[in-house]
Amino acid sequence: MDKLRHHWIVRLTHWINVVALTIMVGSGLRIFNAYPRFARRGETFCCYPWEGHAIPPNLTFGAWLGGARHWHFAMMWVLVVNGLVYVGFVFLHGEWRDLVPRRGFFRDSLEMLKFYLFARRDHPIQGKHNALQRGTYFVLPWVGLLAVLTGIAIWKPVQLAPLTDLFGGYVWARYWHFISMMLLVVLSFVHIFMVFAVDPYSLRSIITGKYNPENSPEERNARPFYHLLPNRFRKSEGDA
Amino acid sequence: MTIDRRQFITITGAAISTAILASCDSRGPKGAQKLLKYAERKNEVVERALFRHRAMDFTPAGAKFAGAALPSYFISKTVPVWNNANGPWTLEIGGLVDKPVKLSLQNLMDLPRTHQRVNHYCVEGWTAVEQWTGVRLRDLAKLVGARHEAQYVDFESFDDGYHESWDIDSAMHVQSVVAYGLDGHLLGPAHGAPARFYSPVKLGYKNTKYLTRIMFLPNNTGGYWSDQGYEWYGGV
Repeated sequence: MDKLRHHWIVRLTHWINVVALTIMVGSGLRIFNAYPRFARRGETFCCYPWEGHAIPPNLTFGAWLGGARHWHFAMMWVLVVNGLVYVGFVFLHGEWRDLVPRRGFFRDSLEMLKFYLFARRDHPIQGKHNALQRGTYFVLPWVGLLAVLTGIAIWKPVQLAPLTDLFGGYVWARYWHFISMMLLVVLSFVHIFMVFAVDPYSLRSIITGKYNPENSPEERNARPFYHLLPNRFRKSEGDA
Repeated sequence: MTIDRRQFITITGAAISTAILASCDSRGPKGAQKLLKYAERKNEVVERALFRHRAMDFTPAGAKFAGAALPSYFISKTVPVWNNANGPWTLEIGGLVDKPVKLSLQNLMDLPRTHQRVNHYCVEGWTAVEQWTGVRLRDLAKLVGARHEAQYVDFESFDDGYHESWDIDSAMHVQSVVAYGLDGHLLGPAHGAPARFYSPVKLGYKNTKYLTRIMFLPNNTGGYWSDQGYEWYGGV
């Protein structure tokens, strides 16, 4: 009953992305720690509550500013090429149909939320992904694009001044670079949490590609930490 | 020895955590250093290709001058001050040039001057807005008759051997200036007096303060910060 859920290109780019993004975030935070604030010298910055507070060194990568920069400027190519391969494949191969919001997206998302919050008894009917997943997987590449563009903007604020200007100048571009990184991190952690709390069977599908649809969250009527086991392990409760 | 499931989980967990912690805030795997060097060389090719003489730095309309908030930096133990016992300060310009010169501060100030309000881009991530007064290096290059074989320029200082070399294109950018004035005053000892090189087209550390000598050269002579492991090109 196993079905192929993820093409090998999707699986490969997913795991390359895990490594590249982790190193980009870690080295980026080490670079940030060299000047952990956004204000221009002699000015104040409105919109960051932790101006001057360094990120704990254990969360950073690269050991020193120069080392972190070398990692950041090397890994950025891996991240960009990998991202282009993924988006290009998903577009050409048709997978994008499962990864963009459908008509009724907000209503469907609300129904998913209600289900997770026990305000609805049965798992909403879905295809490959539920509405919240579709929204997340659709937004992620755009946030990634924002991270890349703002990154280029603060890498070359003179040579590519029009790009930097588009983001409000160097100080703001650096801020948006930080915010897009934070968004990627938050979405990634929610993603990892949901994998373990709702659909651990999807771990297999992102490694080997195989997935047993009988174990899907929809079939199990699974909320976070509820109905984690396959249906055959459950006493018939009449609620599935 | 047998271990039960609980011990197994504890030991595996401890091993994985140790491995993760050990790899954090490290330089990363040793084998990767060669790849990083390779990436740095390739990035320099990209950065040189991106370079445009017409690309200009401009400062935001509302930005304040950093003034006293501009950090001062030198590698000597104390603020480097030119010792007149060694004779009056001069700026020597030589190497692959037709007419090497030694300019006094007054000679420098008599040359056509430029005022520019530009950003300072520090490798650490901060910027500061300042107004610099000085002579464009491209004008000085004309003055001494720099030759076409000169592909690099090395800026030497009396700050304990600090020097940085530049590619000729970045050095000849119109915003690349030998500066003796900051915010309408003569440069102070904290910021590189009597004269320093200043250009927004490269990171702050590439801009040598306390200038003594500018050499037009056929080859790359490195620099203080690239010797410490930072990128040599450092363009913005």
